[in-house]
Parts: sequence; structure tokens; C-alpha cells
Amino acid sequence: MPTPSESDGVVVLHAENLTKSFGGIRAVDHLNLTLARSELRCLIGPNGAGKSTLFGLLSGLHRPDTGRILFKGEDITNLQPFQRVRKGLCQKFQTTRIYRSLTVAQNLLIAGGTHTSNRKKNEKLSWALSTLGLDSEHEVSAGKLSHSHQQWLEICLALATEPDLLLLDEPTAGMTPEETALTAQFVVNLNRQALTVLVVEHDMAFVRYIAQSVTVLHYGRIFTEGSLDEIESNQEVRRIYLGES
Amino acid sequence: MEREDKRWWQVLNGPQELGRGRVFWCLFTFAALGLLAYPFVGSVFALSNFANFCLYVPMGLGLALLWGYSGVLSFGQSAFFAIAGYVYGIISGNLLDMPGGTLLAAAGAIAASAAIAAAFGYFVFYGQVSGWIIPLLLLVLSLILETFMAQTAGYQWRVGSVLLGGYNGMTNIPSLQIGSSIFGGASIGFYYLVVSAMLITYLGLRLLVNSHYGHVVTGIRDDVERTRMLGYNVNLMQIQVFVVAAALAGLSGVLYVSWGNYINPSSMGLLPATLPVIWTAVGGRSSLLAVLLSTVTLRWLADSLAVKGGEYAFLIMGILLLVTMLFFPAGIVVTLARHWLQRKPERRDLKKNRAP
Amino acid sequence: MSLGYLVSLLYQYADSIAFLLLAALGLMIILGVVNVINLAHGELIMMGAYITTLTYHRAHLPLPLCMALSTIGVGLFGMLLERFVIRRFYDDKLGALVATWGVSLILSQGTLLVFGPSLESVPLAAWTFSYGRYSFGGYRLLLFVIAIAIVLIAWWVFYHTRLGVRTRATMQNADMARALGVNTRDIYLLTFGVGSALAGLTGALYAPTTTIVPLMGNQFVDVAFITVVVGGGANPIVGALTSAALLSLIATPLSSTLGTFSGRIGLLIAALVVIRFLPRGISGYFQDIRYRRMARGVS
Repeated sequence: MPTPSESDGVVVLHAENLTKSFGGIRAVDHLNLTLARSELRCLIGPNGAGKSTLFGLLSGLHRPDTGRILFKGEDITNLQPFQRVRKGLCQKFQTTRIYRSLTVAQNLLIAGGTHTSNRKKNEKLSWALSTLGLDSEHEVSAGKLSHSHQQWLEICLALATEPDLLLLDEPTAGMTPEETALTAQFVVNLNRQALTVLVVEHDMAFVRYIAQSVTVLHYGRIFTEGSLDEIESNQEVRRIYLGES
Repeated sequence: MEREDKRWWQVLNGPQELGRGRVFWCLFTFAALGLLAYPFVGSVFALSNFANFCLYVPMGLGLALLWGYSGVLSFGQSAFFAIAGYVYGIISGNLLDMPGGTLLAAAGAIAASAAIAAAFGYFVFYGQVSGWIIPLLLLVLSLILETFMAQTAGYQWRVGSVLLGGYNGMTNIPSLQIGSSIFGGASIGFYYLVVSAMLITYLGLRLLVNSHYGHVVTGIRDDVERTRMLGYNVNLMQIQVFVVAAALAGLSGVLYVSWGNYINPSSMGLLPATLPVIWTAVGGRSSLLAVLLSTVTLRWLADSLAVKGGEYAFLIMGILLLVTMLFFPAGIVVTLARHWLQRKPERRDLKKNRAP
Repeated sequence: MSLGYLVSLLYQYADSIAFLLLAALGLMIILGVVNVINLAHGELIMMGAYITTLTYHRAHLPLPLCMALSTIGVGLFGMLLERFVIRRFYDDKLGALVATWGVSLILSQGTLLVFGPSLESVPLAAWTFSYGRYSFGGYRLLLFVIAIAIVLIAWWVFYHTRLGVRTRATMQNADMARALGVNTRDIYLLTFGVGSALAGLTGALYAPTTTIVPLMGNQFVDVAFITVVVGGGANPIVGALTSAALLSLIATPLSSTLGTFSGRIGLLIAALVVIRFLPRGISGYFQDIRYRRMARGVS
């Protein structure tokens, strides 16, 4: 199993003092998060901890009540989602949202994936497609793919936007253990190609495969951060997962 | 260089349109040559009539692009058609002594339609309104425009030296003129102008829908949010497609006034607003070629009915529209084409089996 | 500014609200419940006017009875329309739009062919009264009262009857409603019938005030469409009331000073501005506020 790459310390993402409330509930509470280039970080936490809301703030679906987000040194807090994607911040959503009535090839074409102008991007995408077994399904209607293939297609669509930071929201939801392992290997390989990745996951097997560093969220705040071993041996973390807070 | 050509060909021959491959393009070329050779065998009257049918094709194709490929239903194409006709009449009427005045008028007319479309599009696409709001408001626009223009009779209703003409409309509109060639309705020059416009629009749109841009437009039709999250400025792109469709309707409008030298408010109202929708629905909005064929055919049908029973024309159009929507939702031409394309491999198999 | 002038403005305002409400309510109820736009709405209004006129002149029935026949007749026709056309387009709103436009053409052109370019008018009740140098038509005030009464009846049905509860359930979540035993098919059929009946009633009520021609529906649909767009389908009653009130506020001063055309163009521009910022109309906006207050963040 290849290991995640070492980060060179350059900050890719810096979110400071983010707060987001819905009605009376504070989903994200004065949260600070920093990601360095080529980092592969897992975000875990019990249900209701604020993980999806945080992703929504990063990709631009929600506006924060307080705080700001710096991406590659630039303040993107007021940018629309599509502008953030153009800057290199792309999210793969929890529920697959591909163009169901179009073929795999057409899906990729729309994401910009088969332009002959960018050879490096094409090679990277071809590698991704063959690793995930999608290269034989170019003419298949995306809606007819198996669930895991739809998830993988969605990751490839995100890759086709040439991101510098990839947000993965529960990428292995509904996958078998074999598919989870393949996805984990794939994500690690992506990271080795200098892609910063932030993953939200519930599946601890997946987290164990890939984790370089883990952040635990609880009640919209960062509970603790560290390596996977540190997190797993942390009694407090066990407690919040088992419901005694 | 060869690789460039090959990609260009791939785009033209691409998957987003019915009709591909060698056989198709041979037939297409044959048909195009036939069109170009028609003036040698046809009478002036037949040419003029046929040109009248074909000048509506850019408007129909514009709606096919807008509705079929981009998913936006518009009942406003005839409004843009008529706006361009009136603006052309106003500008050219005021520039009668200027050489090239009609060309300026044509450009101005199409620009006017495009500008109004852009303004309208700003409100509806940046608001991201539900799909049904657009056709509704465009119907209202058509109705208001018709009502307004119908009461502009009288000398006080003029722009420069051109009278708007009220219910009877604007007359004596000069035909397009380049140098000393006048493209009037009964001229061979006009016939070639219309056929060129038709073919160029078709080929141009075919290139567009098969390009990367065209695929993204299709993506917008299928899932707006998904396309946004892939980094595309969806609001802007929707306006762009809307403006292109309006400009094509404007082109048809300019050709129309050049052909007939008049325009009146009845080109703007609710009944004419229906026609592009009927052509597109009956042909099959997912295919440019189907809409081209249905536009010319239905224009011919309406013309024949006008002679023998004009009052039935819109009744028959209404029945045709209802029947198509109920029983041929993909369009009559497209449904027939799909049937025919599916039966072909069967025939080939039969031939193989018969071999000794 | 004299008192008479103010009263006159109020009268025009009430008249405009009545017109918008009567023209649009049927369409909005259908949009809110069945989620389709019936482009034949104008022709249904025309049918109402024609049935009233024909029964009045040919069968010599008293006018209120003719109007009742219009309402019932067009309501039944609406149910036929739902059963044979609309039903196929439940999840294809644009398709329903185009198909009903075909129906609209058939109805208007068919009426032209069968009954000719116009019918003899129905007499208008001459209940004029004057105040100072202004005169007002009592009939149009009656229409205002009827419009408000219809809105109140609709409100009562929606919120105080079992049918209303089932209808609202269908509006909010048709699948869930079906799973709880609501016959959504019948709800759609009935709603379409009621919406069409309202259109027929509108045509009947306004028949004495206008010429009876096959394309008379057009004068109702452009304001009806704008009212529907501004009001939104989320809550037909709230939407119809707020939209009619707001739009009349804009249109009344415009048309009384600059003419009917300016009034109509003002309405279209107002509609464009409203949907730019409230894309789901006024009632949709109210609903969004309510949902946002109720919603919890999901994480």
C-alpha cells in the first residue's frame, strides 16, 4: 500500500473563524482549518458534527455567518461555487450527481476531460479511468452504471476540472470492502501526484487505509487533530462517538 | 494540419445530431447541390415561394438549439423576428440614400433583437426561474408588442421619416442591397441568399452543438447545479444561447422584410408565436435537421392551406401540435428516423441469410 | 386632490384587483396543486363567456343561471381535459404547456369557425351611481365583492375542510400523500375541474362588459400570466392576493395617467424585476422564509 506523500508545508487552504447557523442551530462554530499542499486529511466525527456544512462552506454552497476562507493565498469567501471550481477547488458530493441520460464519454467531455489541448490532463484522466475500470464503459449511459462506478465517475469528473484541492464527501458510501480498498488506493495515488485531498468519511477501514492526518469534528468545532494512531487511542474521541459528550 | 482537419470533421459529424456518416453526408451534399441548381429549372414564382418557406429556417433552428439542446422553451421567437423586421424597416427607411444602408439596417435589426433578448435573459437566468416562467412571460411580451404596434397608426407614430403604420404595418421597406444587386423577393439573388443562410446556419449550429461548448449546454439542460459545480458560469451561458436564438430569429425577420417589403403587427402576436414551437415540436427538437425539414414542410403546408382554406390553417396547426405532443413527443421526423435507422441492420441480416 | 379623485382611484384599484384575481385564481390553483400551466386558460374563459351569451340569447334563460351553466360546463370540460391530455404530462411541465397551447388553438379557431367572428353582446346591468363628477359602475363593484368572496371560499376549503387537507398534502408531497391513502389522481382531476370552473365563471362574469369574440381570452391571459408569475404556485391563495394587490398598485396609476399600454408594460417589467429577486414568486418567498426558520442544518 503506497503511503501518502509528504507535504512541503505551503498552505493551500486556510479557513479561519468560520461560523454557520441554520435556524437556531450552529452547525459550524468558529472553526479554523489549515491544509498544506499535498496533504491527505480525513475529517471524521459523529453525525451532526458539522462535516457536510463545512464542505458546503468551502465549496461555496453556503455563505458563512462569520470568518473567511483563503485558497492558495486568495480570499474566496465571496466567490460563487463555479468560480471556486475554476480556481482549483472541487468537491465530489455524497449523493452522486452525474448526467444520467448522457454517456460516460459525454459526461467527461462536459467536465472538460477529453480536450486534446492538454496532454498531461488527458494522460492523468486516462490513468484514472483505467484504474477504476471505467475506460471500457465510455459509451454506457451514466445512469446505467453500477453504484460504485457512478461514484468513481463522479470523482473523475471532479478530476477533469484540474483541481488543486479535492474535497471528497463520503466517497465510499455504499461500496463493498473490495471497492473501498480500490478507492483508497486510488485516492492515495492521486495524492502522490501532488493533489491535496480532504475527505469526509464514516468508514474507519477507509480512513485507516489512507489517513495521514485526521481531524475530528464535534458540535461544529475541531475537537482534536493528529495522526490516526493518536486519534484512535484518544479516550475523549471514543466518548464522543459513543454518545457521552 | 491533418490532425486539425480530422478533429474539425469529428465535431461536424458529431453525436449530438441525427444523421451522421458517409451516406448521410453524400445525401446532404446531393440535396444542397439540388437546391443550388433549382433556379435553372424552377419558375421565378416557385423560387420566390420556396425562398419564403426557407427564410424561416434560421428561426426554427434557433429554437431547436434553445429548446432541444439547452432545455429552454421560448414562445418569443416570433417577437424577436418581428422586432428585427420593424427595426430594419426603420433604419433602412431613414438611410435610403446611403449605400450599404440596408446592410447597416440588417446589422442593427439583429442587434436590437439580441439586445432585448439579453435584457430579458438577464432577469430570468440570473434569477434562475422555473422553466415555465420563460414561455409565459415571452407570450405576454408578444401580446403587448402586438397590441402596442397595432395602435401606432397616424403620423405622430414615426421614427425619423418612417411611419410605424399601426394595424396595417410598415410598407415600402427596401430589400437588402449590396452594391447594385437588390435582393428582392422575386430575385434569384434572394433565393441564393436564403439557401446560403439556411445551409450556413445548419452547418454552423451543427458545429456548435458538437463542440465542447455545445456539450456543456446539453449538460446545463440535464442538470444545472452539476454543471455549475464543474466550474461553468451557467447563468451567462444560458443568456448566450438565448441571444443566439434571438439573433437567428432576427435574421429570419430581416430576410422576411427583404422578401416582402412589409411587416405588420400580426407577425408579433400569439398566433405567430406558436409557429416556431410547432415546427420544432413536430420535427423533433433534439435534431437540427428534423427541425429544418419540418419548418420548410409546415410552411409549405400553411401556404397551401392559405389558398384553399385559410381559416382552417391554425386549427390544423393546433391539432397537429396536440397530436404530436400526445403521440410523438420526440417529434414526428425524429421518431420516423429512429424507426428507419433501427430497421436497417435487420435488412442487412436478411440479405446475409439469403446468400447461398 | 379631491376626495372624488381618491374615491375614483380606489374604485379603479378595486376593479383591477378583481380583474386580476378572477383572471388568475383558477390558473394559480391548478399550478399550485397539479403543478402544470394550462395555456388554454384564456380559451376556458372565452368558453365561459360564450356559454353565457349563447344560453342567454338562444335559450332565453335568466343571466345568473347562464353564468352558473358556464361555470359548471367549463368545469366539466376542464375535467375532460385533465383526463385525456394533462394526465400524460404530470412530470413534464413544458410538455403540458405546449400541449395545452395546442388545445387553446383548437378551441379559439374552432369557435371562430363554428360561431363566426363575434356574438351579440350580453346586456350590462346599468347600476351606475355618481359621486361629484365621477361615475362608477355598480356591476364592477359587484365583481370585486364576488372576487373576494371566491378567495374567502377557497381559503375556507383549503384550510377548514378535509378535502383541503388532502389537497395541501398532495401539494407538499404527492408520494407521501399517496402512501397515506390520499387519492391524488382524483385530487388532480377535481382541482383541474375547479380551476377551469373558475375560468368559466370569470368569462361569464365579464361577458356583459366586453365584446364576445373568439380571441377574447387574450385580454385576460396576459394579466393572468403575470399575476401567476409574481404570485408563485407555492400557495395559490396568498400568492393570488398579494400579487393582485401589488400589481394593481403598480398598474392603476400607470394606466390612469399614461394609458393601458403603459400599464401592461409596467406589469411585465415589474414581473421581471420580482422574479429576478424572488424567483419563486411572493408565495414561494414566504414559503422559503418559513422553511428556513424551521430547517436545521444537516451535518
